[in-house]
Amino acid sequence: MSVTTVQTTCPYCGVGCGVNLSCSSNATNSTITPVTGDQQHPANFGRLCVKGSSLAQTITSDDRLIVPSVYGEASTWDNATDIISQKIQEVTTKYGPDAFAFYLSGQILTEDYYVANKLAKGYIGTANVDTNSRLCMASAVVGYKRAFGSDTVPCNYEDLECCDLLIMVGSNAAWTHPVLYQRIVAAKAQRPHMKVVVIDPRRTATCDIADLHLAITPGSDAAIFSYLLQATGKKGFLDQDFIASHTDGFDSALAQAKASTPDLSSAAKFCGVTEDDLALLCDWWCDTDKSVTFYSQGVNQSSSGVDKCNAIINCHLATGRLGKPGTGPFSITGQPNAMGGREVGGLANQLAAHMDFATLGAQDLVQRFWQAPNMATENGLKAVDMFQAMEEGKIKVIWIMSTNPMVSLPNTSQVKRALEKCELVIVSDIKAHTDTTKYADILLPATGWSEKDGTVTNSERRISRQRGLLSPLGEAKHDWQAICEVAKKLGHHDAFDYSGPHQIFAEHAALSAFENNGQRDFNIGAFQDITKTEYDALLPIQWPVTQSSPEGTARMFVDKHFFTPNGRAKFIPIEPKLPVANTTDQYPFTLNTGRVRDQWHTMTRTGDAASLSQHIAQPYVEIHPDDAKKHDICDKTLVKVYSAKGQTLLKAKVTEATAPGSLFVPIHWTQQFANASIVSALIPPVVDALSGQPESKHARAALEPIKNATYGSLISDTQLQLDDCLYWCKVTSDYGHRYEVAWPETVSIESLKQTFGARSSAPLQWLEYTNPFNSQIRLAGIHDNQLKIVIYLSEAPDVSTTDWLVSKLSPTQSLSDSERMALLVGQPVDVEDKGEIVCSCYQVGTKQISQAIKEGAKTAEALGAKLKCGTNCGSCLPELKAIVSSNLEEAKS
Amino acid sequence: MVSTYEASSQPNLVIVGGGMAGSKLAHDVHALGLNYQVTLISEEEQVGYNRIMLSALLAKDISKEDMPLVDVTKMANAGVRVVAGDPAVILDVNLRTITLASGTQIQYDKLVLATGSRSSILPLEGSDAKNVIGFRNWQDTEMLTELCSSLHVSVIGGGLLGLEAAVGLAKKGHKVTVYHRSEWLLNRQLDSTAAHLLQAKLESYGVDFKLSTSPNRLLQDGSGEVVAIECDDHTQPTDLVVMAAGITPEITLAERAGIATSRAITVDPQMRTSHTDVYALGECCEFESQTFGLVAPIWDQIKVLLQVLNDKTSTFQIEAVPTKLKVSGVDLFSVGKISPDTGDVCICYTDISTNHYRKLMVNDGQLVGAILYGNVADGSWYFQLIQNKTDVSCWLDTLIFGEAYCRQNAA
Repeated sequence: MSVTTVQTTCPYCGVGCGVNLSCSSNATNSTITPVTGDQQHPANFGRLCVKGSSLAQTITSDDRLIVPSVYGEASTWDNATDIISQKIQEVTTKYGPDAFAFYLSGQILTEDYYVANKLAKGYIGTANVDTNSRLCMASAVVGYKRAFGSDTVPCNYEDLECCDLLIMVGSNAAWTHPVLYQRIVAAKAQRPHMKVVVIDPRRTATCDIADLHLAITPGSDAAIFSYLLQATGKKGFLDQDFIASHTDGFDSALAQAKASTPDLSSAAKFCGVTEDDLALLCDWWCDTDKSVTFYSQGVNQSSSGVDKCNAIINCHLATGRLGKPGTGPFSITGQPNAMGGREVGGLANQLAAHMDFATLGAQDLVQRFWQAPNMATENGLKAVDMFQAMEEGKIKVIWIMSTNPMVSLPNTSQVKRALEKCELVIVSDIKAHTDTTKYADILLPATGWSEKDGTVTNSERRISRQRGLLSPLGEAKHDWQAICEVAKKLGHHDAFDYSGPHQIFAEHAALSAFENNGQRDFNIGAFQDITKTEYDALLPIQWPVTQSSPEGTARMFVDKHFFTPNGRAKFIPIEPKLPVANTTDQYPFTLNTGRVRDQWHTMTRTGDAASLSQHIAQPYVEIHPDDAKKHDICDKTLVKVYSAKGQTLLKAKVTEATAPGSLFVPIHWTQQFANASIVSALIPPVVDALSGQPESKHARAALEPIKNATYGSLISDTQLQLDDCLYWCKVTSDYGHRYEVAWPETVSIESLKQTFGARSSAPLQWLEYTNPFNSQIRLAGIHDNQLKIVIYLSEAPDVSTTDWLVSKLSPTQSLSDSERMALLVGQPVDVEDKGEIVCSCYQVGTKQISQAIKEGAKTAEALGAKLKCGTNCGSCLPELKAIVSSNLEEAKS
Repeated sequence: MVSTYEASSQPNLVIVGGGMAGSKLAHDVHALGLNYQVTLISEEEQVGYNRIMLSALLAKDISKEDMPLVDVTKMANAGVRVVAGDPAVILDVNLRTITLASGTQIQYDKLVLATGSRSSILPLEGSDAKNVIGFRNWQDTEMLTELCSSLHVSVIGGGLLGLEAAVGLAKKGHKVTVYHRSEWLLNRQLDSTAAHLLQAKLESYGVDFKLSTSPNRLLQDGSGEVVAIECDDHTQPTDLVVMAAGITPEITLAERAGIATSRAITVDPQMRTSHTDVYALGECCEFESQTFGLVAPIWDQIKVLLQVLNDKTSTFQIEAVPTKLKVSGVDLFSVGKISPDTGDVCICYTDISTNHYRKLMVNDGQLVGAILYGNVADGSWYFQLIQNKTDVSCWLDTLIFGEAYCRQNAA
């Protein structure tokens, strides 16, 4: 038995925790052991959240894509890349380079991103390189760039621990960035005077540590900071020296703030909070130098997301609260390598290495560095525009990598039309079946997290290695390899001939330093000659990493120098705006979206871990009790939630955490897991004009209770076709297949037996239970003492089955008699095993009798005195006597 | 007017009937040391055996040595006067005497009538033949035991006794057909589902069933023996007919003595009849219009009577009694209602392939009926719930799965 361990990085949120991944192997097989947190990693110091802790469970060959597939047929890499390169050649020749697009992901590695960006922008000649990161932090990028002249996160995680006031805006970090949240919790416990303010329309788990929660009107965030800016001025807490020496545009920003939020009452009213609460926040803000504003999707996913970011940054500039420990405007990214993508320039409105097309001399610089034959010259299409252009027939070939736009982009039905229209859809993924692979013409098997090698950058600019432990499954290849193969077939052999990710990383580092001269924030020139050995040993490090800062850079703007042409930061005048889609009589609810604690994105990986389905098993909609009552909706019942764009079926979660008039729906459930729960289907394709980031946290919606449904839980040893159900949701289980379902009306035992009997692989014996008191009907189908299917029905919606029941689907399990009945209870019980019943009057069995004999009852009469057996009709007395004598004989021998 | 027995210093307690009730009472009076000279009078030669086990004896599951209910020899040696094979024929309540068939007269101070019951013989044409018998006593059993094998035996009545006899006879190799006038077996104790499970089990023992069938008449040959049973749609040859269509309380002696009777000898809660110092007990008595065929209430009656005879107060009351079938390999249990009335709600559990079935009837938070087949381990608990009128409304989700689940979920 040998154990191999690598230090790698968690592939989920932007905290970027270090993970120890181990595999123990002997001659015949190898086992992945549960992962542990890396004690040395500065992001987590050994901590992991539940998703991270469950990583080993997600390393599975289930539904892995292991060979390329071309138009539904298994194929070879050579054939697939032939077709791809020929088609790219064909459409770009005929329609121009913009007929091709990459749609990438914040989950691919920096090296994958780099070669994709290089191929598109330098060799094919299009800037149509966009990514799902557009959906999570594009507004934050533009906000930073407008203020600092660069996409620079000034802070680090220690600032969250050493600040005295932490304002968390639009972030449920307790669920979305749990390890960071736990660091904050621990810091607050150690320094109780540290105040935490949560600004969020919902009362989330994050509010547990909040000294103040401002449950604002959805989308009104900017007004809070507009008011803070003008109040800071009025109360005399401005850092006049900093404003004068290091910034531009303060006066107009302040004037706008005064105009937009002239006083406490107007600001409080706009935001839907009490004046007292807002005044308290304002006092704390004015009084606390060490203040960090921590913001995430609630700020970014907005039609005015960039303005919200700048409203926040304005406050920090006005007080000089950045570039110092415990201060700064801190955007937290949602994906493990959104930052890496930004560094590479893997977005349609970036060129490369934190240079834009508009950056003076940048196109020439990059062209010379790459020796690129066909440079793109202007911004490409951002995500939503990209899919619109696709539907219009302008994009003919798209290569989607490691993302699931059929679930994550707004307006799902439009995304579907676009993919159907596109002449060649290439999807690189680890999974054979996602909502998006369904529309692929060519499927390329990608390596998964446990196999990938490269770097990621977390929310505090820290570059960490992801290290592969396992060999690629089947014919899976790294994304950079796939891109390079196509690039070579397009005739760019030398420019894409890398022996490994370290070479790509070195080139990326070299580009960041190329003719930089301190003009660009992103510079990791210290790595431009990195060797494979050095790369493999690379420790987590925060960029910039240069000759002068070889140990990396903990905090930016310490020198108060910014990356604008004049080196001064910019205030942006902000006029707070509410979301575009206002409610109407027809759509009276404001719909918000977000993550749940134990799932990640579209569940292509977390959906493989049964333990992660336990916290929240089904897609749901949060509704305030008043609204639930008004619409005759009970907790856990099925609700139709719809907008002008589409509809969903979700389980009601009636809670005061969501404000009256508001709804909240999680983003994770896809058609692989539920028949109608994709919340993006409800979201209009409204974007921020500057960042192109969709307003995915906002839609107007209506709801309708589903009446007279029959609810059911099913577990089956085989996958079930559930088209006849009104609603179904697959819940990952350790054995077999588990579903929560609803039928539109009453279903009979006979019809269920017929339906599921016919779908079973073997003839079934049925166990039945009916109880009119709780309207329960329960069935279990058994073949040869093996459990095949269990069906629990109820008019009440709470019918979930148990882990114990699922464990009975294990093929090694043969059912005992008491377990048969327990199948319909859903749980085992410690029934005293009496043995065969001897005395039927008093239900006394052989095992009880033998025990009593051991305890000294050596005659039938003594047994009767002890157990009552034989004392009524007496017909068991002969048997009792026989048992006594045989037991006594046994004892003798 | 002479007692054949010597006068005793103790009051004379005479018990008429050496069946289970009479012999158990004699045993207990003696064992408890009550101040009586006990005389036990038995029509049958066999005294104090366990009648319930006749079917087991017939099926050869047990032997004759296993039959005693009480140790009669021991009792007799200790002073109880046991008269066997000499039925009481005259009771004179004025003179306080009992005259036996042999002419012997016995004086009593206190008298207990425990005359039991006889098989009801249906008034069918031809049922007077000597190969038409009941299945009630030792003699019937011996007769059936001694039959040469492979006869066609017809059992009329698919109740508890009929089924026990049928299985016993089938096990001995006879070809047995049970005629039952209702749609399913044990129709007073089981519902159709449970009865069908039972029927399938008994069929596996080789018993045939004709349900919803009442014989019209019994066809006799020239020698006066029944040779066939005639029903509406067919006539079936038979070598022997066992009548198991119920029992009739044996009250001739009491009636002739002028003791009040209805269907049986009416008694009050102290088991007293209409006449002073005359008591009745067991299958021959009637209390609150109910007669008794199962052992549990009779044991209760004995307990009451023991107190009364000892000049103490005690009161008999009727309680629900569960049904069990004494056939090895068959587990069934039934208590209370078997079919729901308005307001009753049924909870059911069925596992046909392992012959496991449960039906509970609940009314207004109380269990009012339970039928169990296959796994009857929870039967006595359900029985208690019914008897104690326990409020089961908090257990309705798990009640059908038995006590362990209810206790576990309550914990």
